[in-house]
Amino acid sequence: MLKGFHSVETGSTMSDVAKDKAARLLKKRGSISSLSSHEVKAKETTGKTKDSVSTVSYIDEPGHHDDIPRPAVQMENTYQIGPIKRFPVATVNNILKDVLTSYLQEEKYEAELCRQMTKTISEVIKARVKDLMIPRYKIIVLITIGQLNDQNMRIGSRCLWDPTNDTFSSYAFKNNSLFAVANVYAVYFE
Amino acid sequence: MDEFQAGEEIVFVVDEVSSIIKESVEGVIGGNAYQHSRVNQWTTNVVEQCLSQLTKLGKPFKYIVTCIIMQKNGAGLQTASSCFWDNTTDGSCTVRWENKTMYCIVSVFGLAI
Repeated sequence: MLKGFHSVETGSTMSDVAKDKAARLLKKRGSISSLSSHEVKAKETTGKTKDSVSTVSYIDEPGHHDDIPRPAVQMENTYQIGPIKRFPVATVNNILKDVLTSYLQEEKYEAELCRQMTKTISEVIKARVKDLMIPRYKIIVLITIGQLNDQNMRIGSRCLWDPTNDTFSSYAFKNNSLFAVANVYAVYFE
Repeated sequence: MDEFQAGEEIVFVVDEVSSIIKESVEGVIGGNAYQHSRVNQWTTNVVEQCLSQLTKLGKPFKYIVTCIIMQKNGAGLQTASSCFWDNTTDGSCTVRWENKTMYCIVSVFGLAI
């Protein structure tokens, strides 16, 4: 299994200071995953109504493909119909709380910093959840950081999956300058 | 014996998904201006409609759809995701849609079963 990466932001250019800071924080946590995993493609299109704009982003080349194509390994049947270990929602919730608080407690909202921060935090959380070693679960980490500016916003999600095995964990963090929402979705791979 | 599921069929087609998202957002929000009382309904409807259209594709995927609607008042918003999955089959697509009064960001993740 490999990892994908994508990001969207409404900010502008990135300052080196913010980039450095985020990279330093990442190093401090001892994570080895790189920040610039994939090239993200974006294209501008104008919607049907004249005053609306939409941008699409996705992973351009899915995968760091192996240079030498290996023959598909034929596995024996496991006859396993359910997860050995269920996804520990409470533990993951603690990870989210821990990571968001330690990274953002002292931060003021700044577009470049937060742009880098979303990527860093999502990688860190993914690494921490992977460290739990829960077999057969695919993990999706979604981080949103926004500025507190008396605006209103709403985040909603809905999933088409098997509710007996698939689950999610969510945590919202707020200080006096910014808010952050972290969602982790765990999908059982049959 | 026949192979029931050809390998190349199980693939996340970004174009297909992005047009579903755009249609849903246009259909639900369209030319409306930001209205606090309707945002709840909008997010629900966008997610609901995306999901029902995705289901109609009839592919062996589990889907996760999230929708963010934010009022435009100069506040910044960043979002990023990172995934641990099978890159050959699974995929994601994010559409950022905006009009004069609001941003709407819809992300869809598709995971092959």
